[in-house]
Amino acid sequence: MTRLTTLLLSLAALATQQVHADAPSPLSLSGFGTLGAARTDNAARAFRANSVSDSGARSAFDLSVDSVFGLQGSLQIGNRLDLTLQSVVRKSPTGSYDPRVTWAFVSYQATPELLLRVGRTRLPFFMYSDSLNLNYANPWIRPPVEVYSLNPLSDIDGADALYRTQLGNTNVEVHAYTGRSAMNIRGGSANLDKIHGLKSSFNWNGLTAQISYARADMSLRWTDTFSQNLLQALVASGHGAIAPELSGSDGKTSFMSAGLQYDQDRLLLIAEIARRNVDRYIDSGIGWYLTAGYRIGSLTPYLTLARQRETAPVSSAVTGVGALDNGLSAFNAGRNKAQRSIGAGLRWDTGRNVAIKAQLERIQPGPGGLGILLPEQSGDYLKPDGPTHVLSVAMDFIF
Amino acid sequence: MRLARILLTITVLLYPCLGRAELVLVASVRSAGIELNHERAENLYLGHTTTLADGTPIKLIDLPNGVLRDDFYLKLTGKNPAQIRAYWSRQVFTGRALPPREAGSVAEARQWLTDIPNLIGYLERADVPAGARILLRLP
Repeated sequence: MTRLTTLLLSLAALATQQVHADAPSPLSLSGFGTLGAARTDNAARAFRANSVSDSGARSAFDLSVDSVFGLQGSLQIGNRLDLTLQSVVRKSPTGSYDPRVTWAFVSYQATPELLLRVGRTRLPFFMYSDSLNLNYANPWIRPPVEVYSLNPLSDIDGADALYRTQLGNTNVEVHAYTGRSAMNIRGGSANLDKIHGLKSSFNWNGLTAQISYARADMSLRWTDTFSQNLLQALVASGHGAIAPELSGSDGKTSFMSAGLQYDQDRLLLIAEIARRNVDRYIDSGIGWYLTAGYRIGSLTPYLTLARQRETAPVSSAVTGVGALDNGLSAFNAGRNKAQRSIGAGLRWDTGRNVAIKAQLERIQPGPGGLGILLPEQSGDYLKPDGPTHVLSVAMDFIF
Repeated sequence: MRLARILLTITVLLYPCLGRAELVLVASVRSAGIELNHERAENLYLGHTTTLADGTPIKLIDLPNGVLRDDFYLKLTGKNPAQIRAYWSRQVFTGRALPPREAGSVAEARQWLTDIPNLIGYLERADVPAGARILLRLP
């Protein structure tokens, strides 16, 4: 981390020296951030911006859910080579505020249409995956969790190719990528290896359509006390064959998504559907949302409808032993993020590079789990209750 | 009624200052053979491409934040200032494209367009430096 800070600082120093030069500087330094506060109307439920955090906002305003700060430096080396570094500070799923390197790549413009990149980039499974921290670019306080919580991992170390061309009036981008990803999550660790993915997007005037497919090998180790006890009890009672369905490093997963965005003149329409298929360790699910917004001067009111449902539980194994089956049900329910929500919000572009937002959501968790909400007692996963309301306010900025 | 008439008069008087000035896209001095249509210019200033139609890499410059810049993007791309800033922030922070180099002032933009070959920029027509070639008019 110190090395990165030193590098960013020396880039900054270089930038200041360049100010008085008479030619455009090859270096650009920029940043973005969100100061956001969220609260719920239910002290027993914590609202999270992802499905793997060990804390969230309860009935008092909490700054840790949405607040984020990022700094990015880009250096052009000649006509074809660029170096890009980005570091982001936000509360991690395990509660730390250590800066995370979110971009660190060298890109090479091989031909006018082909860009090759090597290093760390963002996992681009869904439409807005590569700008998850960049709330200024989006209408919402945060991208809808019903889709975006399907993949909690955010970066990929590897290589990719971006091919951009024009077919008639349509701008086409094909993005092929490969690499690996790792992250510590609430009560465990997650890895994706041998990731191979392809994403295509088509842009015609204000309309953008994109489709994406990726598959990977998955490791998911649940190290929390409840999971450890359950795994030991299964082995001890002769049901050890079930244990490799719950935690380990032999999983296969795939992610599919399709999205549409229309942003022209006053109207803003966004629709996206995404699917996660997994053969073990976590459930399979499908999520979608629809957002409609309307620009009135610097104000953009919007409405969002969203849903996630489970298509297959982590494990459907049955032992016939009451206590073990209850444990398996609780394990499954804790990983089922099914929920429905309706939200209304307002974005106000107050000035250059600053937007203020407010958003109210009504989240109905279930069936079969508590959705994105985190209960105080893990037994609550098995009995989803009525809706929880979430109020969020935020100021997004870029510089 | 009288108030309305006064307001109308003020508006008409001020109107030339509020974007009546003709903006032009220009190639810098000593830039040979640069051709540009509206669509290509739009694709360049939205970061969809970094080259001319024949594949030649080209550098772009931007004016500092202000009325001229907002007016330019609205006329070229149809996006208002808030939309264009949100759009470009996504391009930059997703590593897609680097924005045009921003000049500190109109004077600096003129200087760059005079000194540096193979550069494209936009100015009010009256500010175009001698020797720079007008590629596109944005009335």
